[in-house]
This record gives sequence, structure tokens and C-alpha cells, in this order.
Amino acid sequence: MATNVQQVAVSKPGASSGSQGNASEYVVRVPNDPLKKYSMIKFASGTDIDFLKLSHGKVKMERENNLRQYKTIYNLDAMPKFGAGSEYGREQKEEARRKKYGINIKKYNPNDQPWLMKVGDGKDCKRYKGVREGTISENTSYYIFTKCADGAFEAFPIEEWYNFQPVVKYKYLNSEEAEEEFSRRDKTMNLFSIMVRKRIKNEEETEEKPEDKKDKKKDKKSLILTDMEDWMETEDEEEEEEEAEEGAEKKPKKEKKEEKTKRRKNAKINADDEAVEESDEGDFDDRELDYISDSGSESSLDEKAKNDKYDDQGVDQEKGLKKLIDSEEESSEEENKEEDEEDEEEEAEKEAQSKKEKKKKKDSKENNKEGGESDSSSSSSDSDDSDIDKNEDKFSSVLFMQEKKRSSRPNTPTVEKLEIKTEPKSEGGIKRKIEAEEGGAEKKVRTESPAPSLKTSASSSSISSSGEITEEAIRHYLTRRPMTAKELVQKFKAKKSQMSNEQLTQKIGQLLKKINPGRKYIKGVMYLSLEKTE
Amino acid sequence: MSQPPEEESARPLRDVDLRAAERGVWLVKVPKYLSEKWKRASGKGEVGKLKIISTKIPGAQPEVTFSMNEAQAQVQVPGRGTATPKEHKFKLTGVGNQNLVVFSENKGEGTTAAEITERIAIEGKVIQRAECQPVVDKSYMQLKKRHVEDSNKPKREIKQITGVVTTYKPVSNHAANIEHEKKIKEGGKRIRDERDVVTNKLFEIFEKHQYYNIQDLVRLTNQPVTYLKEILQDLCIYNMKAPHRNMYELKPEYRHYKEQK
Repeated sequence: MATNVQQVAVSKPGASSGSQGNASEYVVRVPNDPLKKYSMIKFASGTDIDFLKLSHGKVKMERENNLRQYKTIYNLDAMPKFGAGSEYGREQKEEARRKKYGINIKKYNPNDQPWLMKVGDGKDCKRYKGVREGTISENTSYYIFTKCADGAFEAFPIEEWYNFQPVVKYKYLNSEEAEEEFSRRDKTMNLFSIMVRKRIKNEEETEEKPEDKKDKKKDKKSLILTDMEDWMETEDEEEEEEEAEEGAEKKPKKEKKEEKTKRRKNAKINADDEAVEESDEGDFDDRELDYISDSGSESSLDEKAKNDKYDDQGVDQEKGLKKLIDSEEESSEEENKEEDEEDEEEEAEKEAQSKKEKKKKKDSKENNKEGGESDSSSSSSDSDDSDIDKNEDKFSSVLFMQEKKRSSRPNTPTVEKLEIKTEPKSEGGIKRKIEAEEGGAEKKVRTESPAPSLKTSASSSSISSSGEITEEAIRHYLTRRPMTAKELVQKFKAKKSQMSNEQLTQKIGQLLKKINPGRKYIKGVMYLSLEKTE
Repeated sequence: MSQPPEEESARPLRDVDLRAAERGVWLVKVPKYLSEKWKRASGKGEVGKLKIISTKIPGAQPEVTFSMNEAQAQVQVPGRGTATPKEHKFKLTGVGNQNLVVFSENKGEGTTAAEITERIAIEGKVIQRAECQPVVDKSYMQLKKRHVEDSNKPKREIKQITGVVTTYKPVSNHAANIEHEKKIKEGGKRIRDERDVVTNKLFEIFEKHQYYNIQDLVRLTNQPVTYLKEILQDLCIYNMKAPHRNMYELKPEYRHYKEQK
């Protein structure tokens, strides 16, 4: 002790007035030892602790170290301070930033952290946690008066108050769960099941290994001692209860889990006392039909049937759209040119594509609609082959027209391009694209290849636009490029759709005899052509 | 932070000294002005005398009076007057069912700043609670009056200024700016070093941190910006995305950072 005792008050019995009793006087000292700091421990009411009774007297105390929590709260240590991943000057920047915005972070004071006390030994120890009590009023101070050996009192000021509470290690319900259980307290007979249920819930939430499942199963089994407990549980309306029961009835865990998840998924359908919801919009999405075909699958119809189906008037054939498309194409002149070019290209492609025709039938049908040329002969069903060729031409024609300027009828690129073009089926986009391209290409074609067609354009335009099957028209076609008779028929069919096939063929046959075009045999197919010197 | 890295782990529990655990102590609530005087006790710390008169009447609490020494009473507390009542009565109350234990922390004497070993000791159990109440007399009344007046004064005052405030004046060029410009003028432009030299310097720099700002690099290497940027183009990659926006870091082939943690 730093202080010395100087005066000692002596207690004098009977010093004061008689009946009062003994009076004693003691000196009060307030030692000022800066190193010793006194604090008060307030144990929670009911805590049974008495240091006097601790015979073995093992008590340990230490401050809790919450530095890590403090840092994570304020993200102080989120980034490494040096080495990999660190930024130069980051701390300073953060500090400056905090100051700029006036963000005050409470400094971590290790002397304000709670105390951890351990009383006793090993397994029997009791742990306590002492939290600092904040409000010690500013107008009062507490002193501890202790009696010294020399009879004087010593007074020490108390600086901190700590409320000590025993530390619980058992699980308890949080407030929400407690309220739930409270509302059900009249109905529950088995209070053990409450915590078991909670434990089950926890374990299911954390993904568990199958081994754990087995353990759990055993635990649950052990609880169900009598049938009464079983039945009691069923009285409760909870799903979990039922599932626990089922679990007890030896269903494998996985099933249970599945059931639970199923229940959750199908909550709409299966909830016991809840009304069944009407289906919302997205419920039947998977049952939607494919827009392309009426049926779900492609292979259901064979090719012919398909083609017959597709013989319906294409969208572009219908009046309204036809007009639109026609107007887009500005004049039939362009149409003619396109036709011619198409025809020429048809030949080139035919050989290469005869194999792929069937594959692309459907595609072509689609694209045909997208292609949108009025002279498309999608309606003709005489020859499916040329049909397809034509269709395929259309969307490829766009490219071909562009390409034409560069190269004269390149076989392979067109084929490739065709494949590329037909594969992406997106309807709207390609449709517009093709139409746009066609529009553009037409103009280009118009400007760039006026020579061959100018002379005949005037006549041909009038010829083909009128739609009459005349000798001139046929000549015109054949001059452009060699065609098979079938193709000719198709050409006119589009124009003169009112005539029947037979009539058409007859007329064309007659005219052909008149013209007497030269005949070429290319790969076994007879081509008619009229070579004119240009 | 100049301090050594702070501990984050839980510290081991310290033994508590239980020698004085059986002591019975009194917990006394003392008014502020009195405690302030007591804190300024000189010498041995003697502040006064405690007179306990135990009555013979059963069930009654003994009378306890505290009377302050003359010397102690004269102790000047800054901010308050010296007048304090000399006599105080202790009003004794029971502890109730509270379990109050006093413990003390004793910082070891003669230890270095790095190691502070505190000895924790239980000082006793509270057996009696008391309130120190002054015997009301004139001086006490005056004291209280003064207290009330002091506490009612607003902490911030509005004063009218008499003169002119000469602290902030418009200036053509602030002192800081002038200094800065001077420094730049004198310091001159940065001179280009050899490429190898700069490269080595950069490698050294990037050993410390992974991400650097261009301005920081300029400052550290003391090279002109354009030159440095050229070199950085070869060595480093420029981060555009958060978290390290606009920062340079060495290209993967040049770095070999060890995995941290």
C-alpha cells in the first residue's frame, strides 16, 4: 500500500449519549492509487454464486476480444494491406474519405468489452459474461468503504459496473418461434418435441450428409415412446409434425425431403386448409404449341402431307400483304430482274441442293413467307423440287443479287450462304431483314445491271406484268436463261392462277412448239433455251 | 498505424486473486462535489472521520456520520467553490437480493508498454449500501444554487464581435500555393532514367502492393509521366473495373505473389 497510516481513530465505547449506544469513530481514507482500478460485478438475480463457498477457489476472468467482429462490421480489414491484392495508399484514402463525409466510426475500446468469467474446473465450470453498464450518472459516484486492519476505512471509487449473466449453451427458441409455440401451448402435450422439431429444421437447412440423416432418424425414433405421442403429434396441424411422424413411420429420409420440397413447390395445390389458387399466367407455359406447325413434332407428317399443308396461301400471297410487298418492290421491273436472276441461279443450285431439299422444306416454307415476293410460286405444287428451289432462291436471291456484281454465279458460296440463311429461323427479324435487303439489292441491281435488261425490260415488264401466257413472254424467259418446261409452267402459274394446271401446260406446250427453242440436256434434265445474240 | 498489429484472438483467462473474497464492504453513493474533493486528497489521503453510533434499539440502523477534515474541506476544486457542507449522514439500506462483488484490476508496476499484465483480484462482497447525504445547511443551499446556475448556462454562447476578423482575407495567391509552385520550379522536371533502372524500381515497388495509381508511381519513381506510361504499357495492365479502378498492376507473367493466408 502506497499510503501510510497516520492517525488512527480509537473506538471508544459509550462515548456518545447514553441510550444511543456505542459510538465509534473511524478515519476515512481515500487512497489515490492510480494503478488500481475498481469495478463492480453485479450478478443477475438468481445467479447462485458465492466466492466464499468456492473451496478450490478457481476463478478466471478475461476481457472478450471483439476486435475481429469490430473490423468486419466496419470493413476495416476487407482488403489486404500489403502484398497481393493491396492498393497503395488505400488506408489513407479510406480515412480521408471518412473524414470528408463525416463518418465517425466509434473507436474500438478494448476496455469496454465484456468480461468472461469462468468459475470452477474443467467440465463443471460455470461461465459468465459481464457486460458493461453504460449509464452511471454524472452526479453521483460510488465508493467502496472497506475496513482496514488498522480500523480505518478506506474508500475506493468504482469506475465501472458490469452485469454478469451465466452463459447458456443450450439452444433456445427465438422470439418468433416462442410466440408460435406459445399460441399452441394448450394443444401441445409433448414439450420435448418442440426443441426436437427445431433441431430438425436446423439440420435440414444446412445440407447434411446421408450419415447424419441416419442419426437423426434414430433420434426421432427414440422419442416416440408411446403411441400416444404419435397421436398427439398428428393433432397438431403443422406439416412438420406430419412429416416427423412419417419419418417415424420409417420412410426414408430422402422421400421425406422430397415430399417437403414437393409440398413447397406445389403449395398451391396441396395446402391442407388453404384454398387452391387459380393458375397464374406462367403455369401452362410448357404446354404451349409450337407456332410453326400445328402439331408438336416435325416427323409426324410425311413429306407430301407436309407439302400439301404448306400449299396454303402464304402470308405474302394474301391480298393485303401482297400489296405491301409489291409496293416495296416498286415496280415489276425489279420483279422481272429478280425472276431472271433467280432462274439463273436456280440451275446452279439445283444440283447441289437436290439432296437437301427435303431437309429444308419446312425452312423454305417459312422463309418463303418471309421472302415475300409476289411471284413466289409457293402455291404451285406441281413440282415440289423446283418449288423448294425457288423458295430457297428467294432469300438467297438477296445475297445473290449483291454478289452478282462481284462474281458470276459462284456455286459453292451460294450454297453455303443458303444454308446459313435458312438455318436461323427467327421469323420476324429475318423477314424484315430480307425484305430490306431485297429492297436495297433491287436498287443496286437496277443501277448496276441495266444493260442486259434495258432493251427487253420495257417489253418484258409489260409482258410479265400482264400475266398473259404469250409467246413473247416465253421467249423472254428463255432468253434470259435456260429453263425446264416445269419452271415455265410455274412462272405462269403465279400470274395466271385461275387457269388450271392442265390448261396452263397445254397452252405453254403450244407456244413452245411455235418457238421451238433449243434443247439442252443438263444432267438428264431437259432444258429449253433461246440463245439470242446480244 | 504505428502500433503493432492488434490481437484478434481470444486471450486466455487470467487467474483471479480470491484472498480478499470474504471481505464485507460497503457500497456508498457519494455526491459529486464530495467525490471531487476526495479525489484531490493530498498526502495520505485522509479526508475525514466516520462516526458510527450503533443503537441499542433492535432493528434500527446505526447512525453514521461523516465529517470532513478542516484541511480537506479547504481543498480547492477548480470550477466550483470551496464551500461544501462538512457533515454528511449516511443513509443505510440493505443490499436486497443483488449479488454485488467488487473486483479490482491492478496494472503491474514497472512493465513495458507492450506487455500489460493486470492482476485481477476480488476485493469483497457488498453487505451494506449507503447514501451519503449532506446535512442541509446554508452553505449547502448556496452550493446547490451555484450548481444549478452553472448547469443552466448554455454551453455555447453568442458573442458580438467588436473588431474585424482578420483570419480570412482574400488573397491573390495563398501561401500554400506559392510554396507549391516554388517547389515545382526549383525541383525542376523529372529526368528520365535508364529503362532498366526504372523497370527494376517498378518491380521493387510492386512487391509492396499490387495496385498503384499512376500519380503515386510517378511520385515514387520520380519519372516523367509519359515516359513512365510507356514503360508501364509493357509491364503492367490497366484496371478499368472496380474495385481497383484506374490502377496499374503487374502483368501476370511478371508477378509471383504468394498466396496470402
